[in-house]
Amino acid sequence: MVVETITDGGILYGLLAVGAGLATGLAGIGAGVGEQGIGAAVVGVVAEEPGFLGKGLFLMLLPETLIIFGLAVSLILMFAWTPFA
Amino acid sequence: MPVLRLPKFGKPVKYAYITGRVRAMKTKLIPHEMYQRMLGMDIPEITRYLEETQYKEEIDSMAKDHSGAELVEYATFANIAKTYRKLLEVSIDEPQFLILEYLRRWDIWNIKTILRGKFHGASEEEIMKYLVPAGELDMEFLEGLAKKERIEEVIQAFDGTDYYEALAQYDGKMLSSVENALDKLYYFRMERAVGGTLSVGGGLLLKYVRKEIDVKNLVTLFRMNKAGIEASVIQENLIPGGKLHEELSRMAGQSYNEFVRGLEGYPFWSAISDVAAEGGSVSRIEARLRAYLVRYAWALSNYHPLSILPVLGYIVSKDTEVSNIRKIVRGKEAGLSAELIEEQVVA
Repeated sequence: MVVETITDGGILYGLLAVGAGLATGLAGIGAGVGEQGIGAAVVGVVAEEPGFLGKGLFLMLLPETLIIFGLAVSLILMFAWTPFA
Repeated sequence: MPVLRLPKFGKPVKYAYITGRVRAMKTKLIPHEMYQRMLGMDIPEITRYLEETQYKEEIDSMAKDHSGAELVEYATFANIAKTYRKLLEVSIDEPQFLILEYLRRWDIWNIKTILRGKFHGASEEEIMKYLVPAGELDMEFLEGLAKKERIEEVIQAFDGTDYYEALAQYDGKMLSSVENALDKLYYFRMERAVGGTLSVGGGLLLKYVRKEIDVKNLVTLFRMNKAGIEASVIQENLIPGGKLHEELSRMAGQSYNEFVRGLEGYPFWSAISDVAAEGGSVSRIEARLRAYLVRYAWALSNYHPLSILPVLGYIVSKDTEVSNIRKIVRGKEAGLSAELIEEQVVA
């Protein structure tokens, strides 16, 4: 039976990875919630005014920027921030 | 024990599609400044202008059978029915339920039209021209009613429905009591159907409808108080359910000046103050109150952007547009002066 010793650094690194995952994941869920209303409204407007499609897509993409923030935080956590180095 | 009601997750989102759509539809309505220009046009010019708007399809399809004011009138009726049916078709769930409850007024309108037509011995074709199948009763059912020979047969066709009780009041001499009972039934049914849902959307619909009842009662009071009719008769004609019902029914039977003075301080006073104070015509006051109602619906929908209110705002604006076009065209046909027509147009 092999018993592996888990170091404090290993636990912290694991928690860091979980945090990085949550940052992107929760940002994605938030953007999705924001987009559901915008998406439905844009489809409604485009059904009447096809010319609104470009503007509508732009408005729909606004909540997506939240994911970029989340992703940036994840990348910093995983690669740029090295507290245990 | 008070219960904490948390908003159901995602509920306002149900309204996102339909409100987005009606806001886009609103941009296609005829702008107010156009009514001024229409007053200077003759009927063929107005028809040509309407052909450039959303009424094109109806005018094109009806132009072979009708002309002049008749063509515009039937085309606008057909268009309004098509537009409201579309609202019902593109909505789902709670918005659809609330829109249908509101649009039942067209069922009442159609029943009244058929009863009036039968009462005055109009032909089936004539009645059919004025039917607007925008509510729950479809054209097939209404056609069947229009084909019936006598009023009693029409009333019998509603046996077993809510309408029957109101229609059974017909005494063979006058329609006004039946018409009044139908109006009351409409608001009673709405309150019953919407009050039961306890939803935010239903509450907002009732809030708007209460305002609408107040405005209707106010117009009745203006007309009847001016004519000097007895208080008890006026009170019978007021529709119950409005927010100001108690206060308005107390005003029944007052002398016109006393009545107008009593209205000062109400939210609608600023909309009618100048016309009412100088004793202007009731139709002018009615037009001002109608404009106030349209503004109220849109103002309220700014506070609740994802609710039934933008849809109601659109329905009221569309109703107003159609009635404005009809007023202008019918006024022109009757040879009324532009000033007189302008008084009636809701801007």
